[in-house]
Amino acid sequence: MPAALNDLDLLQGTLDLLILKTLTWGPMHGYAVARWISDTTDDDLRIEEGALYTALHRMEKRGWLESEWGVSENNRKAKYYQLTTAGRKQLRSQTDVFTRYARAVFKVLQVA
Amino acid sequence: MLPRGIRRLFRIDLGPSRVARAVDDELRFHFDMTVRHYMTRGMSESDATREAERRFGDVERTRARLEAIDRSRAERDRRAAWFSAILQDLRYAARGLRATPGFTLVIVLALALGVGANATMFGIIDRLLLSPPPFLANPAQTNRVYIGRYFDGVANLTPNMSYTRYVDLTKYTKSFSRTAAFFYFNLAVGTGEETAEKQVGMVSATFWQFFNAPPALGRYFGPSEDHTPEGATVAVLGYNYWQAQYGGRRDVLGKSISLGRRAYTIIGVAPRNFVGMNPTGAVAFVPITTGVYDLFGGLTATERSRWYTTHNMSWMEMIAERKTGVSVTAAAADLTNAYLRSYQSQERATPVAIARPHAVVASVLKERGPNQGNNSKVATWLLGVAVVVLLIACANVANLLLARAFRRRREIAVRVALGVSRGRLFVQLLTESLLLGVLGAAAGLIVARWGGAILQKAILPDVEWTSVIADPRMLGFAGAVAIVVGVLTGLAPALLARRTDVSASLKAGAREGTYHRSRTRTVLLILQGALSVVLLVGAGLFVRSLHNVHALDFGYDTSKLLYVSIEMRGHQLDSAANVALRQQLIERARAIPGVENAAVTVSVPFWMSWTQDLFTQARDSIRGDYLFNTVSPSYFATMGIRIVRGRGFTDADGIGAPKVVVVSQGMANKIWPKADALGQCLRVGEDSLPCSTVIGVATNLVDRNLADPPGLQYYAPVMQKGNGGPGLFIRTHGDAAPMLNTVRRELQHVMPGASYVSITPLRKILDTEVRSWDLGATMFALFGGLALLLAAVGLYSVIAYNVTQRSHELGVRIALGAQNADVLRLVLGSGIRVAAAGILIGGVIALVASRFIGPLLYKVSPKDPLTYTVAAVTLLAVAVLASLVPGLRATHVDPNVALRAD
Repeated sequence: MPAALNDLDLLQGTLDLLILKTLTWGPMHGYAVARWISDTTDDDLRIEEGALYTALHRMEKRGWLESEWGVSENNRKAKYYQLTTAGRKQLRSQTDVFTRYARAVFKVLQVA
Repeated sequence: MLPRGIRRLFRIDLGPSRVARAVDDELRFHFDMTVRHYMTRGMSESDATREAERRFGDVERTRARLEAIDRSRAERDRRAAWFSAILQDLRYAARGLRATPGFTLVIVLALALGVGANATMFGIIDRLLLSPPPFLANPAQTNRVYIGRYFDGVANLTPNMSYTRYVDLTKYTKSFSRTAAFFYFNLAVGTGEETAEKQVGMVSATFWQFFNAPPALGRYFGPSEDHTPEGATVAVLGYNYWQAQYGGRRDVLGKSISLGRRAYTIIGVAPRNFVGMNPTGAVAFVPITTGVYDLFGGLTATERSRWYTTHNMSWMEMIAERKTGVSVTAAAADLTNAYLRSYQSQERATPVAIARPHAVVASVLKERGPNQGNNSKVATWLLGVAVVVLLIACANVANLLLARAFRRRREIAVRVALGVSRGRLFVQLLTESLLLGVLGAAAGLIVARWGGAILQKAILPDVEWTSVIADPRMLGFAGAVAIVVGVLTGLAPALLARRTDVSASLKAGAREGTYHRSRTRTVLLILQGALSVVLLVGAGLFVRSLHNVHALDFGYDTSKLLYVSIEMRGHQLDSAANVALRQQLIERARAIPGVENAAVTVSVPFWMSWTQDLFTQARDSIRGDYLFNTVSPSYFATMGIRIVRGRGFTDADGIGAPKVVVVSQGMANKIWPKADALGQCLRVGEDSLPCSTVIGVATNLVDRNLADPPGLQYYAPVMQKGNGGPGLFIRTHGDAAPMLNTVRRELQHVMPGASYVSITPLRKILDTEVRSWDLGATMFALFGGLALLLAAVGLYSVIAYNVTQRSHELGVRIALGAQNADVLRLVLGSGIRVAAAGILIGGVIALVASRFIGPLLYKVSPKDPLTYTVAAVTLLAVAVLASLVPGLRATHVDPNVALRAD
């Protein structure tokens, strides 16, 4: 098993990217987003959940997400987030940037 | 879209108190779920809670951060919602106004005229009475100094004093941190063909310290260049003159400029818009101790040696800056003491007990001081008039909006029924009238831009005006007017909308219920009528004053005379040559076709006058203002003054011949009320001098103040005075003004060296005196006409509207046998009733207000019955006309149509 990544190593903007990507699956509440990311990455990223909520609220303010209160699977009131058109656009451009970045880093690593 | 299985509860409401609860709910859900997750994996509850908290991080910090983010988002959303509501209201209002272009146009025009008139008058008042001179460093502490003395028991306060007095007042006072002397005087500027009389500022070196105005170029002069007996010949150019004459070139420094009879070295340029203490500015500023030598055509030899020690030459003005904490009263007391001390050192002065010398400090603005001119008083009144015009325009607009609100009652009721809140409706109607106010103000600024330029020139022709639109104070003023107008005119309809009874309005048929007699609208109409009457009365009074001024017999022909000022410019002639030159000028002038006569004069009515001490056997010494003139024999014929008794002067009354004088009828009656003036002895100047025998009595002149009774002039032959006199009068056959250039060209041929003649039609000098009445008559008539027009439009629109509303009732009347005349009487009657009420109220207001303009009128009683009658009849006629059109329409109401409608 590779060494666990520290959340400090998480690149700036990467958390936003992960959340946006996660929400493409449909509206989710904050807990579900956290669950989804940790399940998908086998908990490698170890995201601090407080930071995750902060990112959700910040992106809502920027208009990338919108929220409404809904009823969860176990019949409890929960705040659901979903992508807006602006959010989808943001996801596309951030994905591009991240991919180019990652590819560049990999090139260096492979040469070295 | 929410996926299936998730029920939508409600949209997140982010009221300020709800933010915290929402964050709390969200976080609690998160922790409950996380703890449950770990417990399903076999952890104990406390382990699971600890794990959840560990994975979350600092809960309290995150909570605070989330709340801050949400709160700022809520705030932003609220603002956006508010803004979009405004935008929606504006769009709605704009759509409504576009839908009725005629209605909008009338309102905007009415407001434009009202606002334009106000903006213009405000601009003028602002310049005259409100704004201190540009760059003045400390306007609140800076004062103009006035000194006063009693003559014949009447206090005479003047800003003019001798240089010596200024030095004394500066030396003997402790209240001021600095003082300065200044005097603006016209001097010949430039050389050769371009020579022209232009205003030059003579100022003390301390003058510059009063302003916070670094020179645009070079430097100002200092105390080493401004000193008695004679300062240095250095000049600081005015900015505009520098631009116009030197193209703003920087190499003017060190160049020479010809001012008066000397050449000055240019050492600096004042900044743009700097005018010193005179709103008309100056082409150049020179040290006052240098410039003084060019005063009054050049000082005489005696004056040159004593101008800075004598008190008898009263010319310059003084400003002083009070030390901090020194009140105006304390400064005046200090100044009065100083003046007393200075006065007592004066030789041959009237005793202190009689003269009672005193001094005051007043506003730095001349028009706000004790010597306020008639023009600025009239201008202040005109501002009041402009406000009345605006009020009338507002009443009119409110009336039109009200009519519209009535018409829209159904629409409003429907919207209320559909759930639009009344508050929102109120705001919407207010938005509409505010939009109209802003449109009106914008159009008004355009009116002020074009109309105002003309008006400003009429009131203050010499002042250089900055554009109205460029002035931020003016923009602020127009904005304030727009808001006041919007609220004022929008309030009535908006309140009406609030009262609208939904069910009543909806139940009524297309007739919109029964005919509504609106009290508000009638009151507004009467108000308009009353205000129009007030303005018409004002216009009438000023027009009658102006008429009286024009009908005034000045005692000489005002339109046929040119005054020729002889400017020697340092060209020295002995007295024989001086006399010869004047003779040459007179002959040359008489040879010009169209010129009837010419004569030498020393005095010019309203412009230049002289007094001498007078002694006669009848009284020891004659006090009082007898104006003395020395003239050549042709003077009386040239001026059109008749000799009623005895004879005028002839060439025989020369040096060596017995001394003779001619006196005016007024003077003869005053000095010898019971005896014949002819043959009496007058001693002019000193009582030791030989007699001058009265040989003739001439008709009276009006020559110093239109309000004073004419008369009190006396004349001596210029030949017996030796010297030539500074000017000529030339009489033309027709109107003098068009002859000006011909005369100038012809006379210039005679002038030796650099000397020249400067010619002014006498009419132009008199116009300055008449201007305040001219202005009052024109402006009152203009504003009165405007008011009348607005009132007529208002009356017409209301009566026409009422006729439409009453068509059902009128139809019934006609069906029941009412004749055309009856219907017409009914409609006309309502118009006339409104007018009558307006006349009554307006008449009373005018009677009260006109008492205050009494002093500005000329030989007209403020209660002049003719004026009041004409004003009343005019309004009545307008009311009849305005109601005639809808009245005639009413007679055509077809009962069949009217009764069947709806």
